[in-house]
Amino acid sequence: MRKMLVVIRREYTQGVRSKTFVISTVLGPIMMIVFTVVPGLLLSLNTGDATRLAVVDQTGKLYERVRDSIMRGDDVESAVLGGQMPDPQAAGNATAQSQPTPVSPDARYTLEQVMTDGRSLEDIKRELDERVRNKELDAYVMLPRNVLEPTGEASYYGRNLGDVVSISRLQNHLSRAVISQRLIEANIDQRRVDELSRDIRVSTTKAGGGGREERQSGSFFLALGVGLFIYVAVLMYGQVILSAVVEEKTSRIVEVLFSSIGAFPLMAGKLIGVSLVALTQYALWALLFAAFALYGAGMLAASGVDVALPQIAPSLAIYALLFFLLGFYIYATLYALLGSMVTSEKEGGQLSLPIVFLLMTGIYLAFPVIRSPGSSFSVWVSMIPFFSPITMLVRIVTETPPFWQIALSLLIGVATVILLVWFAARVYRIGMLMYGKRASIPEVLRWVRQT
Amino acid sequence: MSDNAPTLLLDRVTKRFDEFIAVNDLSLAVPPGKIFGLLGPNGAGKTTTIRMIVNIMAPDSGSIRLFGRSMNAALQNRIGYLPEERGLYKKMRIDKQLHFLGELKGMGAGAAEKAIDYWLDRMKLAKWKGSMTDELSKGMQQKIQFVATVMHNPDLLILDELFSGLDPVNAELMKEVVLELKAAGRTIIFSTHMMEQAEELCDDICLINRSRKVLEGSVREVKKGFGRNAVALRADNANGVLDDLRLVAKVKPCGDHVEVLLAEGATAQDLLKHLVAGGARVSKFEQVEPSLRDIFIAKVGEQQ
Repeated sequence: MRKMLVVIRREYTQGVRSKTFVISTVLGPIMMIVFTVVPGLLLSLNTGDATRLAVVDQTGKLYERVRDSIMRGDDVESAVLGGQMPDPQAAGNATAQSQPTPVSPDARYTLEQVMTDGRSLEDIKRELDERVRNKELDAYVMLPRNVLEPTGEASYYGRNLGDVVSISRLQNHLSRAVISQRLIEANIDQRRVDELSRDIRVSTTKAGGGGREERQSGSFFLALGVGLFIYVAVLMYGQVILSAVVEEKTSRIVEVLFSSIGAFPLMAGKLIGVSLVALTQYALWALLFAAFALYGAGMLAASGVDVALPQIAPSLAIYALLFFLLGFYIYATLYALLGSMVTSEKEGGQLSLPIVFLLMTGIYLAFPVIRSPGSSFSVWVSMIPFFSPITMLVRIVTETPPFWQIALSLLIGVATVILLVWFAARVYRIGMLMYGKRASIPEVLRWVRQT
Repeated sequence: MSDNAPTLLLDRVTKRFDEFIAVNDLSLAVPPGKIFGLLGPNGAGKTTTIRMIVNIMAPDSGSIRLFGRSMNAALQNRIGYLPEERGLYKKMRIDKQLHFLGELKGMGAGAAEKAIDYWLDRMKLAKWKGSMTDELSKGMQQKIQFVATVMHNPDLLILDELFSGLDPVNAELMKEVVLELKAAGRTIIFSTHMMEQAEELCDDICLINRSRKVLEGSVREVKKGFGRNAVALRADNANGVLDDLRLVAKVKPCGDHVEVLLAEGATAQDLLKHLVAGGARVSKFEQVEPSLRDIFIAKVGEQQ
């Protein structure tokens, strides 16, 4: 036991002091930000200038609505339905050839209204085509007189018809404008329509909680989040555990170690040491995240915004932690076992695919379990140690199983970890004597029976 | 346990790997305070025997008793083992590494610290204390491993091919330290296939070949029992006598003299008599013992 602590301490101090650890601890959150924020930024980034769009409104009633809708961005609903009635004067009294308007807030469009002034549609089109050709304009929209009729149709002419996203957005803006104008002309109170056609909200509350209603928002995501977290953690640290186990073999220090300490305490010590390094890293990240979230929430609250933090029952948080640890250790020991069978890190890396596959199976199994958490399939799957960390957690969140099932699942998991370490230690000790050769599965089984 | 009870006793130990018998029915006794040579060609079963002694693996049959007790994990702390396959953690400071290995042998932090300073100084490596393993030369790493083997003051030292890869200066330093440890009452098992080294250091030897014991005893007994009679001779006008097959089995030139292997039944005395009678002028006449190397070659060669 004392010797195992010595091994744990060595693995931990070596791990925490390593450059890899320092770099990945710092880079982790940065990468996370890069992967979550940057794609969003890139999508919203319009690399070109704002699209210069001309609107030919033959009805004389729609331009203001279209403009309002576009100027308010994507919140089409509020732009149109909550919007002001158009000022009839503005449309009627406009005498200028064109009316350039300010750039829309997201800088996607600059709009101008093209007055017909009795000119023929053909003339206007020719003129606008000419401007598009001269790159004074990027696109124009024709709203014919009959656009307000049920079969009405608008036309879009543009240089670039490939930007499907923008075109479909524009289509939305136009439709909303036309629909609200139609409603007005049918003498229907727009606000009333708005009220009556609002989507209903469905609140989700867990039933059978002894009358106590527990809000479960975010719980399911917690379960899936834990699953993904296990996945990421295992992918990150499996390789580290593998190399820690192979290290002694390749450096041949193993013979000295085995003359001082048994294989089981050595293997268990290494596993615990490396996992503590991993957990230190996650704890650091969690603290950083919590500090950031609290600071952010505090800032928002201070500026008068009501922040609803996701509500998670404490019992659930404890289960999540327990099953995360269980999952981590189950897969970590699989990597340790793999490390004890191979002769080099590279070889181990190539052979780690089945472990990743097993892990992914666990995550995929979460989906049938969500649909019928009480089925016997779900019960069985939540007892199998390689899947239980994810599937049992999903069951707890969706339809909490009896306590004995949760306890049994944990127990089976812990027993599996211990058995795997024992198994790996045995393979390791005997495999050490085989120089430069990977052990085959039958050989491994024979070794374990021997000695 | 009395003073001359053996430190280590192997009783009919056998170890198999599948079909292959690595150690076959091996019995030996290592007396305390002596240097015991475990000799044999490569692949004879030396390393397997040692691994069973240090409890890395268990024998299939037979028993191993250490300090009068049957082998167990606690006794491992009283052994220092330098394996033939050397290895240290590459990316770890020398002092940290030694500290770790010392603690694995049950040392306290303070004692480990003291022992590290003492031994690094003794090995003339004090200034490398804070270096990483891979900054050291191979010979230096070898010495670091030796420190790891002796730092916890083990009662039994097992040194497998101690001198391999060491230059003569360091080899001499090692030899000095080994003799010092012997003088301090430690029991040392010295495993090698280099017979010259064994001859210089060992009190007792055991020669194993093809997993079996071939020969054992004190070096003097072994040489005596080998029954080989040779004379180092430098003489003029001796050819007539040396051709006499009743006296001489073989003549081997050896530097400025010849080594004369006497025929069976003949003695050195007989040879000298005949030489003098034959009118030879003798300038060197010395009875020589067979070297361990000769014995090794004869015994191992015999079986091949």
